[in-house]
Amino acid sequence: MIELSIRDGRRKMVNYFSLAVLCALAFAAIAPLFFIFAYLLLRGWGGLSWSFFTEIPRPVGESGGGMANAITGSLVLMGLSSALGVPLGLACGMALSELKKTRTAKALRIAIDLLTSVPSIVIGLFAYALVVVPLKGYSAWAGGFALAIVMVPIVARSTEEILKLVPSAVHEAGLALGLPRWKVLMRLILPGVRTGITTGILLALARVSGETAPLLFTAFSNSFGFRGLSSPIASMPVQIYTYATSHDETWRQLAWTGALVLVFVVFLLNLVTRILTRRKI
Amino acid sequence: MEPTLESPVSPKLSVSDGSALETKRLSAWFGDHHVVKDISLVVQKNDVFSLIGPSGCGKSTFIRCLNRLHEETDGASVSGEVLIPGAGRRDNIYASGVDPVSIRRRVGMVFQKPNPFPGLSIFDNVAAGLRLAGVMRRNILDEVVEMSLIQAALWTEVKDKLKKPGTSLSGGQQQRLCIARALAVKPQILLMDEPTSALDPISTARIEELVMKLRNDVTVLIVTHNMQQAARISNQTAFFLMGELVEVGPTKSIFTKPKDTRTEQYITGRFG
Ligand SMILES: Nc1ncnc2c1ncn2[C@@H]1O[C@H](COP(=O)(O)OP(=O)(O)O)[C@@H](O)[C@H]1O
Ligand SMILES: [Mg+2]
Repeated sequence: MIELSIRDGRRKMVNYFSLAVLCALAFAAIAPLFFIFAYLLLRGWGGLSWSFFTEIPRPVGESGGGMANAITGSLVLMGLSSALGVPLGLACGMALSELKKTRTAKALRIAIDLLTSVPSIVIGLFAYALVVVPLKGYSAWAGGFALAIVMVPIVARSTEEILKLVPSAVHEAGLALGLPRWKVLMRLILPGVRTGITTGILLALARVSGETAPLLFTAFSNSFGFRGLSSPIASMPVQIYTYATSHDETWRQLAWTGALVLVFVVFLLNLVTRILTRRKI
Repeated sequence: MEPTLESPVSPKLSVSDGSALETKRLSAWFGDHHVVKDISLVVQKNDVFSLIGPSGCGKSTFIRCLNRLHEETDGASVSGEVLIPGAGRRDNIYASGVDPVSIRRRVGMVFQKPNPFPGLSIFDNVAAGLRLAGVMRRNILDEVVEMSLIQAALWTEVKDKLKKPGTSLSGGQQQRLCIARALAVKPQILLMDEPTSALDPISTARIEELVMKLRNDVTVLIVTHNMQQAARISNQTAFFLMGELVEVGPTKSIFTKPKDTRTEQYITGRFG
């Protein structure tokens, strides 16, 4: 009996110890997140002001100015990429869920997974060849196109996953009313899963809002503000990259503050998706 | 009514007078699994026609052939004829060129588990069939939704909360909602696949009651594994066994003097 309880005690201790190690490792894994956020706050907070959001950057050497051009640029780019990427992604997702296990669906699924893993710089090159070259110049169109390609697989897979959760009985109920398949899907199934689909779109937006590589030689940059969709357009990540690597103190401060704002927006998008998914789909 | 077990396929198709539906040598498969075998039977207008038989004998598959829903399953196939007056192409719903979508408007269906459209309100659930067929006039929709809900004996319970989601109702209410939804498109025939098997006795009784009233407006084919239910609500009964039609006739005679010993064994509870 005594023997047993000693062994019991040892087992408990081993248990306790390994749990502690696991917790420490888990903390180590997420520690960078806290450091990043703390450091961004430290460096970026001081630069936060009204003019950061309303003014365009000043020339090198002058103090003041803001990132209004990059902020509107990012919004325009996200709008453009959603306008193209969301319908395409939804269409792919719906096609996947309709085609189920057919050969076409398998091929499409592999293609979409491959697209997810294509490095985003390569997507930028692709957009360069397909849009920048024919249009003879960097443009918001090209940047939006590149970001749309990043969005498509994310929206497609999340849409497919959400639609998989809808029981086939609901589908059959629609068919049994004498409605064609596409109407059942678009008008009766989709409204029931709109929260889930919105979640997927927000996640894709969060991902795209921080993408830099695909924009470098598509949207390029501009420091004057919005000049139309056929002109180069600034964006938060590209502007942060440019300013952070510059030697101007004011610009470097703008980069820190910009990074803080960007991270905050991405956090916010993720938070909203969290809240949406916690409510039932 | 004479069972038409061995009626041959007539070269000239037409539906006999007074019949709501007729199957001729109807067979159905899942892949090469032959689950409905050569079924020929006639359902008269305004019948409540029940289909009984042990589970797995092909009752669901059979009625899913009657609104061409069976073919929506991967690998499923059908042969034979199903005649429904007014269905077009000399009224065989499987004639080439007949659109399954138009057939399903004539032949409504209620499923085993209540399946309201998630995210749609009670009103929108009932209005779905009409609305998506292009009926937009608010007063027509209002009227049809109210009528259908009255027919489905649900109106008094939901008339003050038509905007609430259909899924917020209890199981029994959801099933009546599904009945209202099917009735709203004014089908000639209503197929019901064990509509009460997922419900409590009180909900079951309400649905049985409303089915008996429905027969004035629509011909009902109802699958049930509950023989008392078949006896209570139907005037014709067909007994299926392993994909075959063993016996069909007036419910009373099936239950009191079955001709086939297998029917007798089943209704006396010796197998199934
Ligand atoms: N989706 C399906 N795929 C393959 N086989 C099926 C499918 N649904 C039913 N079956 C088979 O078809 C036969 C008849 O099933 P079903 O019509 O559902 O019987 P019942 O409704 O009388 O219980 C059973 O052997 C069943 O296993
Ligand atoms: Mg069944």
